[in-house]
Amino acid sequence: MLKYILILFFLSLSFRSSGQESKLSEAVVSIAEELAADDSDPEAASTYIERLYELSEDKVKLNSSGEEELSRLFFLSDFQVKALADYVHSSGRINSVFELANIPGFDKETAGMMIPFITLDNKTTMNSDSAHWRNTSVTNLTCKPGNDDSSSSGSPWKILTKYKFTSGSFSGGMTAEKDPGEKFISGNTALPDFFSASLEYNGSGIVRRIIVGDYSARFGQGTNINTGIRSALSLTSPGYMSASNEVKPYTSADENNFFRGAAAEFSIKNLSVSLFYSKNRVDATLGSSSGSSNNYIENFYTTGLHNTRALEMKKDVVSELAYGTNLSYNFNNLRIGMTWSENRFSLPVNRSENNAEKLFDFEGDRNSLFSLYYNSLIKRILFFGEYSAGRNNKHAIVQGVSLRPSDRLTINFLIRNYDAGYSSFHGKGPGNSSSGNEHGILGNFSFEAAKHLFLSAGCDISSFPWLKYSCNSPSWGRKQEVRLKYLPVPELTIDAAFNYRLSIADDPEANGIPGQKRLITKSLKGSVKYSINDDLILGTRIDYKYAEPSGSRGMLMQQEVNYHFRQIPLTLWIRYCLFSTDDWDSRIYSYENDLLYSFSIPSLSGAGSRSYIMAKWEVNDIAEMRIKYGITTIIRGANLSENNDEIKVQFRIMF
Amino acid sequence: MSSLLKISVSAIFLFFSLTASAGDLYRPSAGAGEAGTGYVCIMKKGFWSSFQNQASLADNGSLSFGFNYENRFGISELGTRTAGITIPAGKSSIGAVYSHFGYAGFKRDMTGLACGLRLSDKINAGVQVDYFMEKTPGEDYNNQSVTFETGLILMPAENTRIGIHIFNPVPNSIRKSYLPSTLRIGVGTDLNKLLFAGVEAEMSSGSNLTIRTGFEYEAAKNFWLRGGFSTENSSFSFGLGYIVKTVRIDLGFRTHEQLGVTSSVSLIFNIP
Repeated sequence: MLKYILILFFLSLSFRSSGQESKLSEAVVSIAEELAADDSDPEAASTYIERLYELSEDKVKLNSSGEEELSRLFFLSDFQVKALADYVHSSGRINSVFELANIPGFDKETAGMMIPFITLDNKTTMNSDSAHWRNTSVTNLTCKPGNDDSSSSGSPWKILTKYKFTSGSFSGGMTAEKDPGEKFISGNTALPDFFSASLEYNGSGIVRRIIVGDYSARFGQGTNINTGIRSALSLTSPGYMSASNEVKPYTSADENNFFRGAAAEFSIKNLSVSLFYSKNRVDATLGSSSGSSNNYIENFYTTGLHNTRALEMKKDVVSELAYGTNLSYNFNNLRIGMTWSENRFSLPVNRSENNAEKLFDFEGDRNSLFSLYYNSLIKRILFFGEYSAGRNNKHAIVQGVSLRPSDRLTINFLIRNYDAGYSSFHGKGPGNSSSGNEHGILGNFSFEAAKHLFLSAGCDISSFPWLKYSCNSPSWGRKQEVRLKYLPVPELTIDAAFNYRLSIADDPEANGIPGQKRLITKSLKGSVKYSINDDLILGTRIDYKYAEPSGSRGMLMQQEVNYHFRQIPLTLWIRYCLFSTDDWDSRIYSYENDLLYSFSIPSLSGAGSRSYIMAKWEVNDIAEMRIKYGITTIIRGANLSENNDEIKVQFRIMF
Repeated sequence: MSSLLKISVSAIFLFFSLTASAGDLYRPSAGAGEAGTGYVCIMKKGFWSSFQNQASLADNGSLSFGFNYENRFGISELGTRTAGITIPAGKSSIGAVYSHFGYAGFKRDMTGLACGLRLSDKINAGVQVDYFMEKTPGEDYNNQSVTFETGLILMPAENTRIGIHIFNPVPNSIRKSYLPSTLRIGVGTDLNKLLFAGVEAEMSSGSNLTIRTGFEYEAAKNFWLRGGFSTENSSFSFGLGYIVKTVRIDLGFRTHEQLGVTSSVSLIFNIP
């Protein structure tokens, strides 16, 4: 009975509340695509998209001129943040978004990217208007009709509901989620499969922030603590993504990588101090020694899916205690800081003795890390770096430099070195790995080659001194990308990119000791976006991919239409996509518009089509509804095809 | 005819019709002028182009009708005969097209009824309802299917046209059909008063991506030379066209890596 009352309560939040329409442009998805394109982890796109949605609802006040406020535009480089702050300081205020493109370090493309996330109103959050309660509620329901697995313990629907309120200096919220096949109420407590809540106080004095409940944190370059976005360079990004320290309420649905407890931020002049304490339960696979009842952790289970009895057994079986502190001090052009953190688990982690790949993996029930970091802007050169050390005397070093010789050229270099055995349970530094065993160097440049024509290119070389998954010997990899962007008129964007990826893996066909083989993919991507008028946007994309050594090819062609009706409050997104790939190696990823706080990046392999239609209906000033239907058809032979469809529904209300 | 022979004949005809068609084998190979440019035509104005992208119908300002014959590799059994008519009606035009491929033992007929509409100075849209009938050797019944195709013409600048066309976009799960789905996108521009050039991409479900490029040059008054290239079978195209009073005559030729040359001729009559 209780669970039905809870379900009704969460759903009723959506229907009861109301709000104003948030202007969320197509830019959200295009930015997320760009930022996440270089990350092999598709969850990264989810994080980016979520941050962008949050930003669109809590816009950055450009005329506040505070660098801290401006750095919330996390996709800008430190150069751009500083240039923006200097411009506001010298000119008094920005009166029009059209001014942005004329600020040194900015161009029309960047200015367009910022528009959905900024406001020219410089009122602070402490004004009398915002002292009123503001409530936002979003509920997403997702179902794949053909995927009703009888072995699952719950319904095939995925349910995500979020609620947030703000009143003056206080804000709070909660997130509840169940994945397909999970019970909505599971475990010993009468709570949804995943439930998260927090309460936040924001101050302007010594006490800057206090959070009770669930929160995320990031300090320095993130090699020690970073439960949010990886702050780094992508292969062709124009600059180093701002890596400001941050402690914020947790609003994501990732069920494992967050803190639960309390955190506080204090500021005295140029000195900032953060303290955090967390006691959380995490998922793991347990083992026990023969002849002994003592349990140990075989590995941590991080997918968050508990749709079978066996997976339910992994849920919340380990208690994790995490605490630490961060200090940072701002000089004129230099910021230095240090972070210390410690993790304690209720059970020890035992690595498998028969698996050489895990020789350097973490072992024991306690881990602590200490980090020093800095960030210095000297004229047109930005230096940044971080050094972290663990109790086992393993290190992580990140050192980067970003140069801007002219307003049309940016050059970046980044070196990273993570020892095999360096372990950070809540860290996410630059590079591909957060668990050590990686050395790498990245270089890129971004150049405005001519008016409206942007050229960028980058190369990342990484080496793995010890064994890793599917590679039983030391290995290396290389990523290269060249990108050309042309914006001849504001209504038209033409984008072309060539991407090269090389990695090493075991060759299973070799006899005896496994040999190595080079896995290479080369892909060519072209896309055009054209806004015919304020109501109609067309997008076309063509992809070609070639994979070695299999020699397989993949091709994709898609057309997208976005139309906003003037007479009725309805917006439509329609995509029609055809693809043909020889095998899984030449699969192609295609990002899709989706519900708010949701994402869809289907990996397309085989031959077939992928289509979707999504409608947004603004019911009135306070409520919005979105419905998406998508279908993937794979051709299995003559007159034989396999179809997978899904339907998603969202209710969103602000009041 | 033995079963084995029937199957062999079917396979050969299917192979020929597939390898020699301009992309999607179910789209009628209409227009010798279009064949000359390598079928870079979904953004182009023209009588036959209007049946490749029905949005172009809206640009047809006069009553016209035409006939086309295509002979693949010099084999009469692989011939395609096509006839069409367009009728202007204010901001819109309607059209009808009929196409017949093959011979008595193996044939494919298509009938289409189309409409094109000028939505604004920059946008045309069009749609066509198609009826297909296919008869293969040894089969007692005909494969039949009804579907639709739709297209857009965008004119971002005075001398530039973008064409987008989708054929049979209904997923198989909703309506079972043996017809493939096809997406075509192209852009063309008048480089000067005499020279047009365009590029087009096409992909059909279950097939690879094809890129085509072509040009049309007005070498003398009312006389055109054409050329093109398609990545499908590395096919080159060339052709010419001439207008005599109200009659337009076009010749087109397309090469195939192994199978030889496909030739086509078309006549279009304009009634002012």
